[in-house]
Amino acid sequence: MNALEEKLNRFVKYRISEEAVKLLIDHLKQKAPVYAPHKSGEASFSYELVERSKDVVLQYPRTMQPIKKFFLPPKEVLLNFNIKDNTYSKPEVPEETRIFFGLHSYEMASLKRLDYSFTQGRRESNYISRRKYAIFVGISYEPDESHFSKSVGIDVEDTEGFDLFLLKNDTGYFLLEITETGKKLLEGYKENLVPDTEELKLEPLRFKSKIKYHYNRLPSVFDHVYKSKVWEKYAEICVGCGTCNLLCSTCYCFDIRDEVELDAEHGSRTRYWDGCMLNSFAEVAGGENFRGNLARRTRHRLYRKFRYITAKSEMLHCVGCGRCSHYCPVGISMTDIVNDLIADHEEKQKREKI
Amino acid sequence: MENFALPTEDLYSPEIATITRVETLTKSEKRFEISMPGKKALNHKPGQFVEVSIFGFGEAPISICSSPTRGPLFELTVRATGRLTDKMHLLREGSQIGIRGPFGNGFDPGAFKGKDMLFVCGGIGLAPLKSLIDYTLDRREDFGRIIILYGTRNPSELLFPEEIRIWQARKDVEFAMTVDQASEEWRGNVGVITTLIPGLELDVKNTIVTVVGPPVMYKFVLMSLKGKRIPDENIYLSLERRMKCGVGKCGHCQINDTFVCQDGPVYHYPRVKQLEEAV
Repeated sequence: MNALEEKLNRFVKYRISEEAVKLLIDHLKQKAPVYAPHKSGEASFSYELVERSKDVVLQYPRTMQPIKKFFLPPKEVLLNFNIKDNTYSKPEVPEETRIFFGLHSYEMASLKRLDYSFTQGRRESNYISRRKYAIFVGISYEPDESHFSKSVGIDVEDTEGFDLFLLKNDTGYFLLEITETGKKLLEGYKENLVPDTEELKLEPLRFKSKIKYHYNRLPSVFDHVYKSKVWEKYAEICVGCGTCNLLCSTCYCFDIRDEVELDAEHGSRTRYWDGCMLNSFAEVAGGENFRGNLARRTRHRLYRKFRYITAKSEMLHCVGCGRCSHYCPVGISMTDIVNDLIADHEEKQKREKI
Repeated sequence: MENFALPTEDLYSPEIATITRVETLTKSEKRFEISMPGKKALNHKPGQFVEVSIFGFGEAPISICSSPTRGPLFELTVRATGRLTDKMHLLREGSQIGIRGPFGNGFDPGAFKGKDMLFVCGGIGLAPLKSLIDYTLDRREDFGRIIILYGTRNPSELLFPEEIRIWQARKDVEFAMTVDQASEEWRGNVGVITTLIPGLELDVKNTIVTVVGPPVMYKFVLMSLKGKRIPDENIYLSLERRMKCGVGKCGHCQINDTFVCQDGPVYHYPRVKQLEEAV
């Protein structure tokens, strides 16, 4: 038994069918609003408030927008103001219990990174209010061609941060009780269930996308590739649309804008997701741009994931969800960039030895 | 487990302050004196900045140009160069304005006690440095020589004429200025600010240099200072970036692994040398 299996075997678990999972959702809905993956359009998925449990999708590759949208909304009013009398009020951010159901392990890991960003240094009340009472139910998934979370140290069956976890098996799911909160959530539901004592064994999962090095070595690679020619290579293809930033589950940069209503008296100070890949991001008054080309911006994005904040938080800030690769309109893949950087670094080391 | 206890203060709520005086300095620059609610002190350090806001026009980071030694009111010098700053130029005495801050690290004048101080100010860079210049003048006995070098593009862009007259008159201040392009009436030095550096006689080991100016200026000033054999450890720079939130969240002011609004805007030169994107 490996360490992960050993950990999973310590949790109380039940065998439940797919239909029973839907009943579990109905049960949870009585306790608090439940948000879960739904089909969205032809080939996309999206976290939505559950109206009917039968609409919830249990097996899906990834949602387009990450879970951060519930904690750092794409658009958020920070203040409502009155221009005439120079007054303002701050909209109340409700501190409510919300259940997030059917999240993959990399999503939970991304929230841990956002927690760091919003609770270290100056603590932000808007984020904390939304995050404080959130409950999480995880689910295992089948990696597709873009997932690479294993390469950044996050197993599909990683239960960290979850209160309950659903692990797919041949007949349905194992339901694992991870925390006391999770256990309490099952009260009134698990009465007909018998704990399953069979030893749990994991099928080795194959990730099609991989980073060549162990994740522990990545920060030190990034110590040596700042001036690599790889940045130029990807800048030549990149169109600077910023999709990779906006869909990234750990990106949290934002812009703040004032918007005025037609009465020219009322308005709001609103923040929007922003992205360091966008040309205007590092511009200052007078027009000077400190990252005026795509190679520099690509480098900044990658260093934000693998080096800068990593040194302080001791976590890589890429969780391997694969959104940036999957949705890039010109097909740039995160693992390709990192593997090219590794290759470039190895080549340089070889040259230095000679 | 993360700490999810709610903080007592909201990061984005400004205090509504009052403009108590407006002075036109140049065609595009005005100086504003500002009083926080109840005339309470801003409690800033020289070199810090505030986020100024006008509802409907947004926010902008502005350096504080007055010294905390001069009482509870503080001053901002604002160049009209964007939506917020253009609007601010239309405000008058008695107008209200939103203030968040002070933000950033600022200078630590206590660490410069007993040192000769060399100020290298380019253009509007004089504004943030004036907060430290005034501080050293108000604690004159704590410092050695005070040398101020100031360069502007042309005589019409000269900031703080009143203060400059005082600095020129004081026997315990060495002041020199230059303009890139002279006008007909101009009788002073002509040339970029670096032309003022070679002629200085300095006790280099005991001289602290602070440099603030437009981005293009730093490289050349640093080269001149190197030519004078001023040790890197004696040099401080203040960097300009687009600090949108001021509290280390929005990401706009990040230079490599540092947030200017948190770790800066004042940087020790040895640190700047590690930052590829800094100057």
